[in-house]
Amino acid sequence: MSFDQVTNNGNEGINPHAFATPSPPGITSDAVDMELLNAFEELQLGDGSDLIVELIDLYLLDAAQRVTEIREASIETEWVLLKRAAHTLRGSSGSLGVRHVAEICERLERMDGRDSPQTVADLVRLLEYESAMASASLAAVRQRRLN
Amino acid sequence: MENFRFKLKQTTPNRVLVADDDPVMRHLVTTIIKQRECEAVVANDGREAYRILQTDSQFRAAIIDMTMPFLEGLDLIRYMRSERRLMRIPIMMISAKQDIKLMTSSFSAGATAFLPKPFTSEQLQSAIRMLLGNGSSARRAA
Repeated sequence: MSFDQVTNNGNEGINPHAFATPSPPGITSDAVDMELLNAFEELQLGDGSDLIVELIDLYLLDAAQRVTEIREASIETEWVLLKRAAHTLRGSSGSLGVRHVAEICERLERMDGRDSPQTVADLVRLLEYESAMASASLAAVRQRRLN
Repeated sequence: MENFRFKLKQTTPNRVLVADDDPVMRHLVTTIIKQRECEAVVANDGREAYRILQTDSQFRAAIIDMTMPFLEGLDLIRYMRSERRLMRIPIMMISAKQDIKLMTSSFSAGATAFLPKPFTSEQLQSAIRMLLGNGSSARRAA
C-alpha cells in the first residue's frame, strides 16, 4: 500500500499500520525528494562547510522535537499547540523535500472539531512513522556526504 | 568622489533582520544573506525580533516568518510600519500558509514581498535578491 492510498482515503482510511517496517539507513526510499534537497548545493558558501549536512543536522534535531510536541499536544488535546508545531514542521519539511511528513502536517493543520480523537491519533502515529523513515534517509545522505 | 563613496557605504546598513522560529529556514536564509555580503541579525521568534527593533533600526531589509511564537509576523510588520525610524526597511514575509487572504493582509500591512513555503533554492535566492535590490532603490528614492 502506498503513502497516497493511506492518506487520500478520507479520515476513515488512515491506516498507520499499512506500511512495512522502516528501511534501514542507507536504503533509498521516497521519503525525501533528493532533487529538491540537492538543489541547495548551489548555495554552498565555499568556506569548507557542507550546507546540506548542516541543514540535515538542524532538521533532524528540530523535527524530532516537533514530532514530540505534536504527540504530547494530541494526548493533551491542545489543538493550538499541535497545529503550531505541525505548521512549523510542514514548512521545513516541504522545503527540504521531506514530502510525506509535510503532507501529514498539512492534514494535522486542517483538523477541526469534526475529526475524531482516533483520527488524530492515527495521523500522529503515521507522522511518527514517516518522520522515522525520512530521518533514516537523511541520516544516510548525511553519512554519504561526510564520507 | 572617493569621499562620496565612503559616505554612501557608511550610511547604507548592510544588515538584514531574519525572524523565524524554524532553525532550518533561518540557516537557509542567513546563508543566502551572507552570500550577498550582508550580515544576518537573527531572531528566534516574534518577541525577540520586536525587542531587537525597539533599539536597532539599522537594517537594509527584514525577512519575517508569518507564524511565530509570542508575536505573529503580521503584528511585527504593523509595528515596523508605525515607527518612523523603521518605515523605510523593506520587508519580506515568508509563510507556509498559501492563502490569498493572508498575502493580501501582508501587503496591506506593509510587506514588500511575500514568499510562500515550500520554496526551492532558486526561488529563495531570487526573492532575497529582489528584496535587497528594492532596499537600495527605496533608499535612493527617499
